[in-house]
Amino acid sequence: MIELVLEDIWSPIVFILVILLTTLVAYLLYKMGNPVYNRTKHKGEPFISGNRPPKDIRKIHVAGDNLFWGFTDALKNYFEPLVKSHTGKLNDYLYWVVITLAVVLVYIYMAV
Amino acid sequence: MTLESILMTLPYITVVVLFSLGLFTVLFKKNLIKIIMGIALMQNGANLFLVSLAYRRGDYAPIFTSAESTDMVMPTAHALTLTSIVIGVATTALLLSFVIMIKKHYGSINTDDVRRCKE
Amino acid sequence: MSFDIMLHTPTFALAVPLLFAFLTILLSKFSKKVGDVTFLLGLLLTGYFVFLMSYRIFTDGGWVYTFGAEEPITLNFFRITFIADGFAALATITIAITAIAAGIYSFGYLQKKMPSDKFYTLFLLTLGGVNGMVLTGDLFNLFVWFEVTSVASCALIAYENHRGRSVEAALKYMVLSVVGGLIVLFSIGLLYGQYGVLNYALLSGNISRIFLDKLALGLLLVIFAMKASSVPMHMWAPDAYGEAPGPATPFIAITSLGSLFVLFRLLFGVFGVGMDTAAVGAVLVILGVLSMFVGVTMALVQDDLKRLIAYLSVSQVGYMTMAVGVGLATLNTVEYQNFGELAMKGGFFHMINDGVYKALLFLSAVTVVHKTDLRSLNDLGGLAHKMPYTTVFFLVGAVSIAGIPPMSGFSSKLLIYRSVYLYNPILAVIALVVSIITFAIMGKVFFNAFLGPDQGLTDGEVSKLMLSGMAILTAMVIVFTLFPGLVVSELVTPAIEALSEGVIP
Repeated sequence: MIELVLEDIWSPIVFILVILLTTLVAYLLYKMGNPVYNRTKHKGEPFISGNRPPKDIRKIHVAGDNLFWGFTDALKNYFEPLVKSHTGKLNDYLYWVVITLAVVLVYIYMAV
Repeated sequence: MTLESILMTLPYITVVVLFSLGLFTVLFKKNLIKIIMGIALMQNGANLFLVSLAYRRGDYAPIFTSAESTDMVMPTAHALTLTSIVIGVATTALLLSFVIMIKKHYGSINTDDVRRCKE
Repeated sequence: MSFDIMLHTPTFALAVPLLFAFLTILLSKFSKKVGDVTFLLGLLLTGYFVFLMSYRIFTDGGWVYTFGAEEPITLNFFRITFIADGFAALATITIAITAIAAGIYSFGYLQKKMPSDKFYTLFLLTLGGVNGMVLTGDLFNLFVWFEVTSVASCALIAYENHRGRSVEAALKYMVLSVVGGLIVLFSIGLLYGQYGVLNYALLSGNISRIFLDKLALGLLLVIFAMKASSVPMHMWAPDAYGEAPGPATPFIAITSLGSLFVLFRLLFGVFGVGMDTAAVGAVLVILGVLSMFVGVTMALVQDDLKRLIAYLSVSQVGYMTMAVGVGLATLNTVEYQNFGELAMKGGFFHMINDGVYKALLFLSAVTVVHKTDLRSLNDLGGLAHKMPYTTVFFLVGAVSIAGIPPMSGFSSKLLIYRSVYLYNPILAVIALVVSIITFAIMGKVFFNAFLGPDQGLTDGEVSKLMLSGMAILTAMVIVFTLFPGLVVSELVTPAIEALSEGVIP
């Protein structure tokens, strides 16, 4: 008999069945609604609250750099030194190895 | 601190000096060729360490032809050193060929300039 | 005397990739198709021997394979040994699955872009080197395969040598690997000079708490953690993963996973008996927490697709290090039965999960970059309209790495959360926060690259061979999703028992 439960904690089969059941219920509710999208008439255009999409379609897609701007700007004191310390110089890569070696060796000498 | 004890530990002192000189060069020099020279120094230090570990006082070199006696040094460490020398040759050759290609693409071999992949 | 092939499978798992590496480049002088077929044959034969070895390990128990004799110690000659136990089975299975999937993917990728015979050679050499590293039972043999892996994988990273950035990334990784290899050689010399043996089993009986052994332990720990891309020595990882040619990217991830396996073998097998495991476990836990946090926050500010997934890979290595560190810290105490064993199960299950879904993520990112010739997230968008299969594969990998139920990533992370919380509650909180940020990052990447209006960046789906490589990995992720209990009890538990008992003499 295959074990279906992971360490008596978690059973993915039950979870997937629940998700499928919920998806089925959601689909039935969707089918009872009023379809607005017509595949031949709208041709994959985005829905922007009824306005017409601009000529250059790239204008309405949020670029990758801008998505988490609020988060990174609020924590600027943490992110600025972190990004600056990744300089890309070969000597710095080796500094970090030597510094880690020193710290770990001192700790192992005193504690082990 | 007799003369004999200093002579017995002299290879190990040399190993430490070689290894730290090599490490200093790799950490603080900006020219890529100098960094590879520092790596070669470290390789020599590690090989010397392996060979000098195998010595036992009063034993002879492990060569059977016209040997003085059969008290010989265990040649395991020498075999490890030979392997390490060969590996060192291969890695130095690959590193030097990378440096030639970087000079062709970037125009300089200073570690301050060779960093288009950063952050 | 009958030739018992099951006994000799560790040798074949190592020798077949090496043989076929050079056979491929020799036979591809005739025609390209012969080279392709030889490469595929080499990969499938390696997988077959790994499967045979694992079958014998799981049914009969592990054994020690000696090269050239029956027993490891005859008179006073110590021979080179390979240890084939549950741990080696888990490691080689993970490596073989990813190698076969990446190999099948590389058929479709290399059709037009690059000359492929040397790629196959370097690929098979790296595979042989990593197999040697995880199977070996002898310290100097470990150094040899360590150097073979680093030379072959650096040459593989610099394969596209018409781009300057690939060669730069390869140079940085190579310098770090060579310096690390010399420090490893130094510590192997220390251990050899003390005890005169290089075998894991004999060393583990002799190691005690004198100063030189602690020095060797510290050196080996840090250098193998550096190879496994753990912070703060991780800076080579985004360069190497980002600039490697397409199908080789999951393979660089496999070398770092192999180094992690070797680190655990050394810490548990060689040093675990004589040293105080609580302090060494604490070092691993601290390295793991740093890796998780720094990896995921650096991934938040990236806009290059492959570098972003590389930073997420650094973060996932932190999970494994932290979980196995908790297991190591509680090794011979009563808490091992309570939560230490659960932490080890979570850590090792996470390793095999991570090997599979990280390869899937890298392969789908490489597909996107290959098809659109754009690497930055600022330019991508709307790819799901024309590339539906790649979108589904990326989605499976993304949901799995973020630890969302019901995928396999959630199963292993659940085990880690439950056990690490009992060691120190702050660790579980940090792990949860990192998981949430990973989910946010995956949402950002998926929204940016695949959803949105169709911008006309691509004209269709990639070839069937590339899709089938990714489909193999997706199938493995789904198998691990549906049957996690089976994977833990069949694959992971023998590995943990093999590790915690020490090395078979």
